[in-house]
Amino acid sequence: MAEHSNGRSPAGMWVFPQADQITAQVMERTTRRCKPHTIALVVAALLAALGVVGFLLRVAADGLDNYNAWGYYMAAFSFVFMVTSGAPLATAAFRFTKSHWRRPLSRVAELFAVVGVLNVLLFIPMIIVLPSIENPAFVPGMEGEMAARRSIWLGSSGLTGGPPELWDILGLVALAVTSMAILWLSLMPDLAQSRDSVSGFRRSIYGFLAGSWHGTKRQWIQHKAGMMLLGGFYFMMVVFVHFLIVSDFAMSLIPGWKDSILPPLYTIIAFQNALGLLLVILFILRKWGGYQEYIGISLFWSASKILLGLTLLWTYHLFAFFITFWYGRLEVEESILRYLMFESYAPVFWANVIFSFFVPFFILLWNPVRKTAWGPALAGLSALVGGFLFSIRIFVGSFNAVDFKEFPGELYSLGLTRARIQDAVIPDLWDIFMVVGIIGAAALVYLAAAKLFPIMSIWEVKEGAMYQRMGKLFRGEYMILAKPE
Amino acid sequence: MQEGRILTATEVNRDLLRSILDTPRWFWPVVMALGLVVLAAAIVIGVMINRGLGITNLNRPVVWGFFITNFVFWIGISHAGVMLSAILRLAKAEWRRPATRAAEVLTIFSLMTAMTMPIIHTGRPWRIMYWAFPYDFARGIWPNIRTPLIWDPSAILTYLTSSSLFVLIALIPDFAVLRDRTTGISHQVYSMLSLGWQGNPRQWKLQIISGVLLSALILPVFVSVHSIVSWDFGMAMAVKSWHSTIFAPYFVVGAVHSGVSAVAFVLILLRKAYGWQAYIRHEHIDALGRLLVVVATGWFYFFSMEVIFGIYGREADEIAVRSLQFTQWPVSAWTMVFVITTYFIPVSIWLSRYCRRNLWIMSFACISVNIGMWLERFLIIVPGLANRQVFTFSWNMYSPSIPEIIIISATFALVAMLMLLFSRAVPLVPLYDIKEGDILKTEIQVGRRAVPAVYRED
Amino acid sequence: MVTNRLDHTWGMVVDLDRCTGCQACVVACQAENNLAINEKSAFLEKRALEWIRIERYWEGEYPNVKARFIPIMCQHCSNAPCEPVCPVFATYRNDGGLNVQVYNRCIGARYCINNCPYQVRFFNFWHPTWPASFENYLNPDVTVRTRGITEKCTFCVQRLRRGELEVERRAGGRLNDQNMAERNYMPACVQACPTNALTFGDHLDPDSKIRPYFDDVHAHDIHHEKERTTRSYLLLEELATAPNVIYLKKVEPYPIGENEHNG
Repeated sequence: MAEHSNGRSPAGMWVFPQADQITAQVMERTTRRCKPHTIALVVAALLAALGVVGFLLRVAADGLDNYNAWGYYMAAFSFVFMVTSGAPLATAAFRFTKSHWRRPLSRVAELFAVVGVLNVLLFIPMIIVLPSIENPAFVPGMEGEMAARRSIWLGSSGLTGGPPELWDILGLVALAVTSMAILWLSLMPDLAQSRDSVSGFRRSIYGFLAGSWHGTKRQWIQHKAGMMLLGGFYFMMVVFVHFLIVSDFAMSLIPGWKDSILPPLYTIIAFQNALGLLLVILFILRKWGGYQEYIGISLFWSASKILLGLTLLWTYHLFAFFITFWYGRLEVEESILRYLMFESYAPVFWANVIFSFFVPFFILLWNPVRKTAWGPALAGLSALVGGFLFSIRIFVGSFNAVDFKEFPGELYSLGLTRARIQDAVIPDLWDIFMVVGIIGAAALVYLAAAKLFPIMSIWEVKEGAMYQRMGKLFRGEYMILAKPE
Repeated sequence: MQEGRILTATEVNRDLLRSILDTPRWFWPVVMALGLVVLAAAIVIGVMINRGLGITNLNRPVVWGFFITNFVFWIGISHAGVMLSAILRLAKAEWRRPATRAAEVLTIFSLMTAMTMPIIHTGRPWRIMYWAFPYDFARGIWPNIRTPLIWDPSAILTYLTSSSLFVLIALIPDFAVLRDRTTGISHQVYSMLSLGWQGNPRQWKLQIISGVLLSALILPVFVSVHSIVSWDFGMAMAVKSWHSTIFAPYFVVGAVHSGVSAVAFVLILLRKAYGWQAYIRHEHIDALGRLLVVVATGWFYFFSMEVIFGIYGREADEIAVRSLQFTQWPVSAWTMVFVITTYFIPVSIWLSRYCRRNLWIMSFACISVNIGMWLERFLIIVPGLANRQVFTFSWNMYSPSIPEIIIISATFALVAMLMLLFSRAVPLVPLYDIKEGDILKTEIQVGRRAVPAVYRED
Repeated sequence: MVTNRLDHTWGMVVDLDRCTGCQACVVACQAENNLAINEKSAFLEKRALEWIRIERYWEGEYPNVKARFIPIMCQHCSNAPCEPVCPVFATYRNDGGLNVQVYNRCIGARYCINNCPYQVRFFNFWHPTWPASFENYLNPDVTVRTRGITEKCTFCVQRLRRGELEVERRAGGRLNDQNMAERNYMPACVQACPTNALTFGDHLDPDSKIRPYFDDVHAHDIHHEKERTTRSYLLLEELATAPNVIYLKKVEPYPIGENEHNG
């Protein structure tokens, strides 16, 4: 029998959905009309439309060759990209560590693969907008390959014989393809099983995607192996593409910014935000989605510890960046600190630190709060706000550090000097439209997918039901977890 | 996975206390031999203090060489303790149980050994006490807290203190077992150390809580120690290849990599030396291997970031160092060896289940990692100094001298000797952790199979 | 201020057009500051103590080879990177603008040597020894450093102190270019240079010879280098160490490759 988990004792934290009811319950919740969901879908669609309007007006006003005007678009894209690309990782990572509480979280995370496809589309304007690597103004007195601005590609033709934009979009495409493959593989057993209980367009899609899945032992073994391999590959691709994006679209646009910790910093805040978003969604599903028998407190308790760890890890990386730049007293590094942290973007920076560190830290510090559902979800929400502010600081800052048109062609470090730090760029109406549009479009795609496919991973929850029991040990009731490997 | 049968408490006590209550025949000869190496180094250090650092091969510009490399290496090894005992305890990994004590003890002794290195490498070590110690002994001048060289002792001593406390508290139930099985002076010492342990529920509750609390509290120390040691290099702006923002997490992950490999090797040795095959099983070494794949890949990511962004700036002074590291013989050969032994050989081995379960192959992989990590520190420090700045007239390379080699070998001998001596007084596999693990083991029926299972608290 | 010493900010100008690489400055510094005599083994081991050294670079291909000399001594940076890294405050910037080294405080950690971009700091690997009679030549105003200590150019602070004592405290005057040159309060290297390639002075003093060069550099920092009116430049200027030694670019009358009959 299913139980609510609202106590602090261990026994109150787990849920045990009944294996034979799972398919029916989940499919029923997926297919029924849900008013709040429909409203959310409509709102997201409206926001996305606003975004298109903003985008078109921005193109008309500034065109696609003045990259200074596109900072907020890039910031919003980067935010959506980092969160949604990190989400499927949660599944892969927790599956690898055999965390038993991950089961309700898997499909919620894997569904973000569809947003990965949207990311590829959203990225296309940015490829056009990015200024060419080759620009003699950046390093005067040099010729040929060295006359390019600093980039990981070491020159316009790059190490690899293709322009950077090509490799970046290929990376995003690879991510989208891999995550869709993970999603498909994960969906196969569920769709095969529920094919008969749905009707209409869902039935035909499920039939097509389920292929020839019969649930034989051999297929299950291949399934597991495939998930593991794709998950590992995806992990490495995500980290690599984060490195590409943040190097090409942030670091190389501020002359003299040589910072080896920026890609890890970006990746860690991406993971923190992804986990935060997943916790928010799980909270919503538990509270209002009718999934309280599937999502127990133990998931929030364990995930909140990881969220706390990621929060601390991000802060540590940020501090490492700060102290290395601050200590050397080099002009270029001092200028970057003043620009991105203490003068121009100071309000954004401090808000970033408050929402990404202080709020989640002080929420998640308390064990009783970690044992609730709202606590980690609130911390996750705060982390998301912080991540958004981080993207603004880094990408709007980079896109506006150098006024490209009037760049006079002095030393490479002329972009930011002691004498000249650019001011922060306040978003105008089109920027705000584009930002809400990008976030709205991502939400739209995800919400649509959540209605199309079951948001609980049926096979994984069933597997969990198989391996988890309550048992008595001495005087207490505890969960017994089977370890079949 | 759970292999091996569940053991009774009597068996556990008898087996794990074997190192204390009996003495194997090889014990004293091995300790003597190690002691001789340490003695040789002590003599060399005496000569060095008397005649000056000229007996080493340090020169200008390479004024930091083998001693500092060794210092960073041993600090790195010391990170295994917290990784295995604290982090895995918080992650509720059952397979940590035999490894924790050996890891923590290795931490303490490698920290102590590491601390001797900066002391002997300074020009006037006897003055350090007066002026680096945080008190204004002379003329109202305190140490300069702005320098990473003062952050170092604070961090390392904090880590040493907290690790020691961690070990001593975790040892209380085991000391009580020993108290009940010894007489005379041993009995009195163990009684004192076991702090009146009776094993009643209240004491067990306090014991578990303190274990969890200390595990959580030691985590910030663990991260900060090697970050601070890395900032000995990261804060220097005149050595461009050192001035990289990623040094802190890079060194920490590298430390976990080399430390956990070292512990895996130590466990394999202990298993053989004391006949602990029932306690340190293949499954534990297998799990360590899988953890190491993740850690090694993380390390490789940070290493790639450091190299890529070093070259990124295309600054002449940095390119000078990189070209020395990657293109000039023999340093380029060492770099190749380092990358292969730190990552490619071990990870290829650890990806294979057969290899993870073969103790000879695992030992080889773990030693390979530590050779590679020692080389890594050397290749960060020495080429950075050798081709420093654009004044090529002042460039010079460095190779070690016999005194330095003797002292470095002696640090390995010292750690081994201290661990062996310690194993005479303290069980290196925690008794109550093993017993607790056995209590939590059970089985459930899944379909037609009886699957091994474990009781969980979360 | 602890004392009521007059304000100075000592600086030096090195004219590379005049430097012939004769090493008179190196010898003078060695004699004045009780440096150990650098035998051949010291150079081969790369442990020679040369508070001022002449770096020599070759330019061009045979037969059009040129030697380029640059004397490098402690730049007495206003933003010295060697100062924050000493664990025991053995090096700091004093009120005369000099970066001073306190020998009896130094424990020989050598971080300062690593963090000096100009590589002008030297470590005593051995006890200094001189042949017996040479000890009579030691300068009584200067400490003899033992092994394990880092040392470097001090702009002959002992001469500056003596100058302050004689000229400023006893006679109530002020040290300037003229009285320093007359009574040898300049650093030994400046005194010894046969071509007057080294010029020393107080760049707080508007009448000093070095003042125009410092004004030029301060008015046109690295981002406006092309607007400088003199030949001034600073070494490793992009590192923002703010050195107090200015170098004057060599004017090359016969650039390599331009004149075929150049011998």
